[in-house]
Order: sequence, then structure tokens, then C-alpha cells
Amino acid sequence: MASLALRNLSRNRRRTLLSAGIVALGCALSLAVLGFVERSRALIQESTVQQFGNLQIADPKVLEGRAEGFASLLPPGDRARVEALARAERGVVGTTVQLSFSGLLAVRRTTAVVRAVGVVPQNGVLDYDRLVVEGRGLRPGDLGALLVGRTLAEELGLRVGDFVNLTATTVAGAFNVSPLEVVGVFRFSSAEVERAQVFVPLAFAQLLLATDGVERVVVRVDRLGRTWEVARGIEGKLSAGGLPLAVRTWDVLSPFYRGLSGFFDLLFGFLVAAVFVLVFFVILQILTLSFLERMRELGTIRALGTTQGEVFSLLVGEGLWLGVLGGGVGVLGGIALAALFNAAGIPWQPPGTVEAVALGVDLTPRVVGIPWGVSVLSTALSAVLPAYQATRVPPAEALRAV
Amino acid sequence: MGQGSFCYVKGTPVLEARELTKFYTLGKEKVRALDRVDFTARQGDFTVVNGPSGSGKSTLLNLLALIDRPSAGEVLFEGKPTSTLPERALAHLRREKIGLVFQTFNLIPVLSAAENVEYPLLLTRTPRAERRERVRAILAEVGLSDLARRRPDELSGGQRQRVAVARALVTQPRVVLADEPTANLDSATGKQIMELLQGLNREHCVTFVVVTHDPAVVPYAERVLTIRDGRIGGEERRGEPRPA
Repeated sequence: MASLALRNLSRNRRRTLLSAGIVALGCALSLAVLGFVERSRALIQESTVQQFGNLQIADPKVLEGRAEGFASLLPPGDRARVEALARAERGVVGTTVQLSFSGLLAVRRTTAVVRAVGVVPQNGVLDYDRLVVEGRGLRPGDLGALLVGRTLAEELGLRVGDFVNLTATTVAGAFNVSPLEVVGVFRFSSAEVERAQVFVPLAFAQLLLATDGVERVVVRVDRLGRTWEVARGIEGKLSAGGLPLAVRTWDVLSPFYRGLSGFFDLLFGFLVAAVFVLVFFVILQILTLSFLERMRELGTIRALGTTQGEVFSLLVGEGLWLGVLGGGVGVLGGIALAALFNAAGIPWQPPGTVEAVALGVDLTPRVVGIPWGVSVLSTALSAVLPAYQATRVPPAEALRAV
Repeated sequence: MGQGSFCYVKGTPVLEARELTKFYTLGKEKVRALDRVDFTARQGDFTVVNGPSGSGKSTLLNLLALIDRPSAGEVLFEGKPTSTLPERALAHLRREKIGLVFQTFNLIPVLSAAENVEYPLLLTRTPRAERRERVRAILAEVGLSDLARRRPDELSGGQRQRVAVARALVTQPRVVLADEPTANLDSATGKQIMELLQGLNREHCVTFVVVTHDPAVVPYAERVLTIRDGRIGGEERRGEPRPA
């Protein structure tokens, strides 16, 4: 029956080519778009992980943005324990710490409220240097050094080599102020961060706030897919060690990524649904016509003893073959389209990233499998109704069909 | 036929119609196509049902072939009523015990002659080696060994009808029902086909029921029924049938 179903496709070659062409077109386009979305998603994931690390460990209030003052800082002893147990997890390549605070940046007669992030320079976990577009990054041994965002630098008229004063409240509640030299200007995926954030060495932050504590531990994992396994492992160890700390992975830490990922899923879902519906209805029309034209032949095979179920399988099998072949051609077409895009090297900056990349299409099993599967499914399903209708016609009546 | 003998006890009733009636609805009108027809085909019979167009021949054949349901009456196959059987059981009965030959050959155009003949054996799940052997033998019997690989559109009308006859016989059915088997053939080819059917009937005692309006077919029959206005009008038992 499978062989007969395949051969039946050769009856009206022009119609079969048209049907397969529609299936192939839908499959190729959805493959190319899905591949583009996957590439964009991967770039944004990479960018997000470079900003946040794979996961962060801190007091739950800190991670949820509810911390007041500096009551939730990790003392040196806890910091060391947390870093040690995180590094003991399989797949963890390094850890670093951060201490952030709000302050008043004053330059000449202008001031701005900023969020200062104290970081360990060249820590091997988060690469701040790649963000620098002017001057240099922070270096080990730096103390009164400052990286300012591009927008903030423009607004305050700051240049590399300028000196500014940063005022903040110490953990004990006293005012403290210290001069800093602007050593570099950075760019960021978010204009808000470029306008309101500065980076300072951790040692400077601790000195200004008069504390030896840190706010959070940032963990880097060897590969993205292992992040959640490592997070579960660390959570278990924190709980066993009696440390009342929380672990958040990069996708949770970045509301921007969550929103964008949801948008991508919606976009792709819509595309797949559109292709499914288009292929379904076009092929439904074509197969209905094809089965009607062959009604007499269907009457013949019923008269010879083919059951309704067998005829139904035969006709749905034709739809299935059409989907398999059309989808197969579509996959090849989509791969060719992807190669064309990848070779063209069109510059494009995905949202949430800091630098332009070549527009590209990723070809993963998911990218190839989903459009092909959808093509096969929609084509096979489009055969169900006309096949059912064709098998309902009594054989004697079908034999009288002209 | 090279398939071994499949002759059952000659004279045993194979197919019986009792009070067979069929109505068709044409618009608001109800047309009686068949009116209380009684009929029996016995093993080895060669029966011709003769009558003009519209007399109910094809309706009778469709009912006997179990591809249509009667409005009243009963068709018995091997003595068992069929009216209560579900469609699936009727399909199995057709594939295993009934051979059909159509006026317009009704071959599957995408299959070769051999594949067309093989098709009913696929339905009966006959093992591959046996299928091949049976197809080879029956094609030899109908004189088409050399044309086995040709598709229907590469065959003449007579050759196509030979393929159809081979297809009807390959499952060794209890009865072969033929609907105007010579209607689309020239007289010489029609004669060849009827001689083929007669030979198969004599050699293998296959039961044949042929409906026709072609007077040239009548001389091949042992028994001739005349149908008119949906009723069997008369029966003629002929002695040793002879070619026209």
C-alpha cells in the first residue's frame, strides 16, 4: 500500500509538483526563519551570560531587588565558603564577586546619580574589557579607577583621564567621598545601563563603603546547558551548609532576555501555525480534487476487496508521502537559503547585544526537524478529511463515477 | 493455470439471490431497478444474464458481487446470508471468494499488468514467493507473459481485459462475475475473451456469471437468463455450450 500510495503521486506530475512545491516553500521559509531566530537567541544568550555570569548567589533579597541598605552583604567567611563550594561543582570554570551601591558622581559643577558596581578587575569570569570602547579596562592593582557608560560620559562631558568625585553612604550610614580617574568608557546593550552605571574596582568600593563584605558571587559554567544542573547542585550544598542564600540563573536574572525569548517563541509559533494552516488548506483542496477524480478507481479497489480502512490508509499515505518528499525538498532549500545568508555576511546587531555580528542562520536538529515535521504533519492531516469522505462512498456508487 | 486444482464439488450452490429487490431514488421518484429476483449459481456453472440496457443486469451483478446492498431480499454466499454482514466482512468475502471483471477493465493505471494481477493477493496477505508464482502462471494462462511489465496504457483493449480476467482469477475465487466483458472490445477480441472465460470454466470449473446485452456472448453459456424491467423473464438451459 505504501508503494502504491507513492506511485499514485506520479499520476498527475504537474499537480504533485505544485503540491510538493507549496510544502517545500513553507518548509524552507520556516526553516530559514527558525534558524535565524535560533542564531539570534544564541547570541543574546551568550551576551546575557557575559553580563550576568551563568548564575549568581546572594541573599534572596538582593537577587529580588528588595535589599535595603547593606544588611544583606556576605561577610568574608561566607564569601569564601560560597566560592569554594561553587568551584567544587562539576563544570564551574570560575567565580567572582560584586558589590554595588548607589552614589553621586560629581564632575566640575555637574552631578549625576549613578549605580556603581565594584568588580574584581580581569577576573576571568566576566569580561568587562570587551565592553570598553575608549581608554582601557580596569586592571588588578587599580584603586581610584572608573569606567563610565558611553551615554553618561557624553552627558557629563567626561573623557578618559578626567577626575571625578564619587560620594556614597558607608555601611554604617556615614557619608564618604573619594576622587577617581576615568580610565575607560564602555558600551552596553541597554542605554539605561550606559547612562546610569559605572564600574569601579571592588577594593575601591569596599574602601568607600567601609566594609569587607560583598553583595553577590557570580559563577561561570563551562557550557550554557549545564547551568541549571550546577544551580541545583549549589542550592543543595548551600542548604546543607546552612547558608540562607539563593541561586538565580542568567535567564531569570535578565528580564530583557525573558521577554525577548518569549517574543521569539511567539514569533516562531505564529510562523509555524501560519505555514501549517497554509499548507493544510492548499493541500486539502488539491487532494480533494485528486481523490474525486479517482473515485471510480477507488470503487474498483473497494470492489476487489480493499476495506474502507485500507483505502483510507492508502489515501492518507499519499498525503504523508507528499509531506515527506515536499518537506525533504524544503529542508534542502532551507539549508541552501541558510548557506546563502551565512555567506552574505550582512551586519546585524541582535537586540540585547553590544556588538554587530554577521546575520546568520543556525542549522540545528531542532531547526531542521520542526519545519519538516510540521510539513509532514500538516500534509498528512490535510488528506484525512478527503480520504474519509472518499471511503464513505459505497463501492457500487463509486464505480459509476465518471 | 499451474496453480493446482481449485475445483469444488460441481453443482453445489455458490451464490443465491432470494426475492432480491432494489430501489433507486431519482429526485422525488423511486425507481424499482430489480423486482423480487431469485437466482442460483452453482459450482462450475457458466451463466449469462442477458437483457437490454436498463433492464437491471448491472444492478443484479452489483448485488451478487456484494458491492451494493439490496432494498429487500437476500444474497446468500455459500449458503450463508450476507445482508447482516458489516462492510469489512463483505470486503474480506470479496477479496477471497469473488472475482470481478468490468466492462471498462478498471485496471490501476500506475501498476504494471503483473502488479495489477498481484494486487488481490496483496490483500489476502499471500506470501511473496507464492504471489510471484501465481501471477506468472495466470499471466501465462491468459497469454500475457511477455507483457507483464507493461502498464495498462501500453496495452490494447483485449490485452487489458485479459489482465482483468487474470486479476479476477488469481485468488482462485468461488465465483467470477463479469459485467459486459466484451462491450468495449471489437468482435474478434470479444470472441477471444469469451473463449478464454469458457476455457477457464471448463478446465478449472470456475463458476462464471456474465451479464451482457451482446447476443454474441450467449452461445458460450450453459444457462441463459433473460432479464427485463428488473425481473427474470426466462431461463434457457443449453446443452454443451459452443462458441458463436
